[in-house]
Amino acid sequence: MSRHLRAAGQASAAAVLVVLAGEVWTPVRAQDHPDPYEAGKAVYTRWCAPCHAAGVTHPGTNALTVKYRGVKPGVLLEWQDLQAVAVKFVVRHGISVMAPFRKTEISDQELDALAKYLSRNTPPT
Amino acid sequence: MRTPPEVSQVDFASAIAEFKRTVGQEWVFTSDADLDLYRDAYSPFLNEPEERIASAAVAPSSTEEVQEVVRIANRFRVPLYAISTGRNLGYGGSAPAYSGCVVVDLKRMNRIIEVNEANAFALVEPGVSYFDLYRYIQEHRLKVWIGCPDPGWGSVIGNAIDRGGGYTTANYRNHFDSHCGMEIVLPSGELLRTGMGAIPKAETWQQYKSGCGPWIDGIFSQSNYGIVTKMGFWLMPQPEAYLRCTVSLPRYKDLGPLVETLNYLENSRITSGFPDIASPLNGYPPIGQLQLWNETGPPALTDEHLKLLASATLGYSANREAYGRRTGIAYWELWLSFHGPMEVVEAQWQATQRRFAAIEGAKFRVVNRVALPIDPTKAEDYHEPELGIPSLRAFSIGARTPWSPTPSKGHMWFSPIIPRTGAAIIEANRVFSAAARDLNMPLFRTFTMPACFWERSFIFILATPVTEDPATNKRYREGFKKLIEVGGQHGWGEYRTAPVFQKTVMDVYSFNNHALQRFHETLKDAIDPNGILSPGRYAIWPKHLREKQS
Ligand SMILES: Cc1cc2nc3c(=O)[nH]c(=O)nc-3n(C[C@H](O)[C@H](O)[C@H](O)COP(=O)(O)OP(=O)(O)OC[C@H]3O[C@@H](n4cnc5c(N)ncnc54)[C@H](O)[C@@H]3O)c2cc1C
Repeated sequence: MSRHLRAAGQASAAAVLVVLAGEVWTPVRAQDHPDPYEAGKAVYTRWCAPCHAAGVTHPGTNALTVKYRGVKPGVLLEWQDLQAVAVKFVVRHGISVMAPFRKTEISDQELDALAKYLSRNTPPT
Repeated sequence: MRTPPEVSQVDFASAIAEFKRTVGQEWVFTSDADLDLYRDAYSPFLNEPEERIASAAVAPSSTEEVQEVVRIANRFRVPLYAISTGRNLGYGGSAPAYSGCVVVDLKRMNRIIEVNEANAFALVEPGVSYFDLYRYIQEHRLKVWIGCPDPGWGSVIGNAIDRGGGYTTANYRNHFDSHCGMEIVLPSGELLRTGMGAIPKAETWQQYKSGCGPWIDGIFSQSNYGIVTKMGFWLMPQPEAYLRCTVSLPRYKDLGPLVETLNYLENSRITSGFPDIASPLNGYPPIGQLQLWNETGPPALTDEHLKLLASATLGYSANREAYGRRTGIAYWELWLSFHGPMEVVEAQWQATQRRFAAIEGAKFRVVNRVALPIDPTKAEDYHEPELGIPSLRAFSIGARTPWSPTPSKGHMWFSPIIPRTGAAIIEANRVFSAAARDLNMPLFRTFTMPACFWERSFIFILATPVTEDPATNKRYREGFKKLIEVGGQHGWGEYRTAPVFQKTVMDVYSFNNHALQRFHETLKDAIDPNGILSPGRYAIWPKHLREKQS
């Protein structure tokens, strides 16, 4: 009989989850990755990618493609001018049919990491 | 700091201090900015005084902490409102039913306690989302499927106790029906386990539903009698194959026989996947194709077809039917799916075709014949929840797309249960389209098809938009209530609704001078004498607030 028990607490704490629908996920230790955006990437993959990854099957991407009509890419990760403060605002206030995220879902610390990751292409002003 | 009605500032401050001692400072929220996150993002009262808002939020991480929070609430008479993942969009979001409640946010209780492949069940906490459970199963390479609603970020428990539905086979897509065993913190703070879980050394808590004696699980759904802290669910063994087929019928009058034949086949378990009825001639998609239509556009129609769409009564005109005959466009198209060993599903499909062949002109098509599991990178080729795969694609409903350049602010689901007959589909269209026209609500583009979530009835779902304009929202809100009443006059009632409509809906369930409502209240007074838990949920008010509400 295969019986699986998971005693550990918060799934999001130590493990970085690869979460795209259908993909097999593997827990990865943070210290194995010197990538400064690792924490932000994990938040993005868990919470944002289901709507914002590439392709029309992602409603966020589809919406941004139509909204910006070639002026900006539909895929959030490709933006060159996304400000950290804008990321934080939209996550906490929502926009259109995107509802805001509570702190039990994305903590302030995780939001900082996410904002840092999504604004990594943006030149400092 | 906000304060709940009827609680003094001093008492509330003491309660907050105790909550902090119980769950930790950082998991009690009292600032306006933090509490805004608990507003219903799709509220039809957005930014209006009647919008339901919280006075604080507290996020326990264990059953013991939930018990302690409930005891504190009793001591200071502070009203609570429990949510699991709080993504109840279209049915109330994460906001309380009664303004001023402290939201008990269970998102941090996200342990997957067990997934048992050998007997196909799971035991989870409220913060576990469909994505979480799906990933866990994938990671451990277990051969079981979950049944999930369209949005994958919701709670397996929260969705089930709001009696939501999904898209796999009949045994699993009614999420409350597929549960087995609950653990509940009662309003007194006492812990209760139902079914076999009431035996201290229970070995079959997730394997036999009712235990012995009265089976009380149902009263903890759509109610305010307890906070559910664990719940078991039966999972579907991963089938070997998936067959997706359509049956097309040419005449308007074929709708009755279509539903009758479907009922026979489904109630006999000859087909058990999510049935989906479209009307190509009326330009109405099956639910399973809706996301695709939103993403890549609806099928192009000829000018002649478009003209015909503008002129029909209750989806019928002789010209339209003749056009369908001439072009081969079906009046009705039933999408069926079969799960099981390939030889079994092929045989079921054969039997299905034999039954439908009794309807003249029936045409058959196999859309997908797939050996499972599918390649996960190909999941997007399907309506994922029909294969037990969670996604967020359904948010293309209301979002900006090339075909819908003005996004909505959200929607309220109007979802009455109607009989599973062709005549009822036509009657519901007649009744609700006339009412919507009178109420100036844009709910009908064309003839509307119902959803087949439940086995022996239909849900006639209409998405009512929420806008940024209070005047429009007011018109829609009032219209929504009228639609509920109109449905009630025909013997139809909602299966579920948002708090702002719960009273109107429960008023429809009025047999014998509201005997059901009065029974709910009797239970409430006995189980929750201080009336601290989720006052007003499904119009069940504790004694001290009851009169004020009527
Ligand atoms: C585009 C779109 C598509 C949708 N499609 C579907 C669909 O296919 N099927 C479907 O069913 N729904 C659907 N919904 C509605 C809704 O989003 C889902 O049902 C969602 O799963 C509900 O939110 P949740 O799981 O976070 O539950 P929660 O919000 O956590 O819970 C719902 C309610 O149950 C009560 N509750 C929750 N947890 C507890 C607890 N532990 N103890 C006591 N009471 C509790 C609370 O009153 C709470 O308000 C859809 C919504 C949208 C916007």
